[in-house]
Amino acid sequence: MHVVIIGNSDAGLSALEAFRKHDKTSKVTLISKEGGIAYSRVLLPYYLRGKIDYDNFFIRKQSYYNQMNVKYIEAGVDQVDDQAKRLRLSTGETLNYDKLLICTGSRAMKPPIPGLDQEGVYHMWTLKDAEALASYFKEGNRVMVLGSGFVSLQAAWAALYKGLDVHIIELASRIMPTVLDQKGAQLLTDQIQKLGAKLSVETMTERVEKTPEGTFRVHTKGNEPFEVDFIIVGTGVRANIGLVQETAVETDRGILVNPYMETTAKDIYAAGDVAQGPTTFGDKHMIHALWPTAIEMGKVAGANMAGQTQAYEGSLNMNTTQMFDVTVSSMGLFNDGMGDRVAVLDGEDFGSYGYVKIVYDGDHIVGITSIGSSDLVKLMGKLRPVIRKKQKVNLEPERLGAFLHLQIANEASVMKI
Amino acid sequence: MRLVTMEPKKCVGCRNCEYACSYNNNGTCDSKQSNIQVNFYPKEGVCIPLTCMHCDEAWCLNVCPAAAISRNEEGAVLVDQSRCAGCKMCMLACPYGNIHFDTAKQVSRKCNLCGDEEPNCVNHCIATALNYEEVEDMDAGRGAFDTIIVKKLQDGGDQ
Repeated sequence: MHVVIIGNSDAGLSALEAFRKHDKTSKVTLISKEGGIAYSRVLLPYYLRGKIDYDNFFIRKQSYYNQMNVKYIEAGVDQVDDQAKRLRLSTGETLNYDKLLICTGSRAMKPPIPGLDQEGVYHMWTLKDAEALASYFKEGNRVMVLGSGFVSLQAAWAALYKGLDVHIIELASRIMPTVLDQKGAQLLTDQIQKLGAKLSVETMTERVEKTPEGTFRVHTKGNEPFEVDFIIVGTGVRANIGLVQETAVETDRGILVNPYMETTAKDIYAAGDVAQGPTTFGDKHMIHALWPTAIEMGKVAGANMAGQTQAYEGSLNMNTTQMFDVTVSSMGLFNDGMGDRVAVLDGEDFGSYGYVKIVYDGDHIVGITSIGSSDLVKLMGKLRPVIRKKQKVNLEPERLGAFLHLQIANEASVMKI
Repeated sequence: MRLVTMEPKKCVGCRNCEYACSYNNNGTCDSKQSNIQVNFYPKEGVCIPLTCMHCDEAWCLNVCPAAAISRNEEGAVLVDQSRCAGCKMCMLACPYGNIHFDTAKQVSRKCNLCGDEEPNCVNHCIATALNYEEVEDMDAGRGAFDTIIVKKLQDGGDQ
């Protein structure tokens, strides 16, 4: 059997490792478009902020691919032929497979604003982006960050941390709609402004022009133009699904997969940011595009390709990061209007955590969002299995800490009862 | 492998384990700097000590996007702070709240099963609530958690 994995990041590697746990001998080929040793996209803002060294980008060793007994090819995949079970590579070569796993991820998109297609305008998405951006991250430089989602704000924080003059422009009425609720967004907005970054919401960028000095003049609707040295665009990503056009692989925004990470085409699986799969809350097909989801999906896909039968319990959306000197996290159904009631915690058990909102639906907890101290992330970690298993939580919110410790004491094998 | 086992019924909440751990970490006796935490519910009269269980399927290790968490030959799950970016994904991954954030270094920290003979927390436990021992079949014969403690925690101390 020849297994081909397209993608050399979290999903692909997780799948490879799960596959090799069950099948040490089958021929495996891993194809990477970006090439080189696997690196972690999550680390880009930490590198730009100076928190980690360049060498720490790389999350596997050179010897890894040999150890995993995998043939490594640096190439893009232009087209999948699911009838002939053959791939057409960007190098012009073809490659046959028996089982195929697609972990092609997603790519950063630019909005249709004139002037964004030129040198000096970057995403913060790939290692190449980070290499290009590093030289701009110098004290006194001015940057416009277009968009205010998770990636954009991490880029903005890294820039502010390094002493840059930061101006964040957001078209919508508030920041971080997929990570924070309205109240959380307002708190973070206050914090961003307090630390000295400019943040303009409900602001439409009309065009960007390069000055003779090589800087950029940014024109926004109804405002005086302003000048920056470079631009970071973080206005969203799109799944890389072009390679399965003209196949039986059904797509929507991503590649549709069932709980076994199987696509609608025989012997083709997908995992990671490109895969649109089941969620904890019963959605059949949703893209969460998160590192933990990619690891989980990869693990399921790899095991199933090796002949096991594992079903994914469904992705639970979760985000956490430290930015603008606070910890920002959320999980599950945390946004305004979700669930049937909420508890905002600031009691004794929750100390000086900051803002914590827990969302209930009936006698279940379905989500949480928070801004504040890092201890909040521990609370969220403990809640994760409770949300996933849809455990009944009949207690008052104030008793949640005790409830969670009880769960742990009941489950942990090192706890003597 | 040998792990730190915890027996809540014996724990008296003296926090010696926390101080011992903290002292070993950075020379202070500060509960907040400890990797073992005694969760003390004074109204209910319940103490639940908690430290890393070095899970077989260590989700923190699998999920770390910086490849900073690994398992040593003895089976202990360790954080390499020189690789840690401080993204807190491991803290989100741990279902037991056993990974902590070192606010001074801005990286994660957790139990590394320190000590030559036995970990410091075990060594300093005055109530024999903590033990360093082989855990293989502790799940066997496990019933429900002590019903009195369960009732106390569920109902709260005032009832």
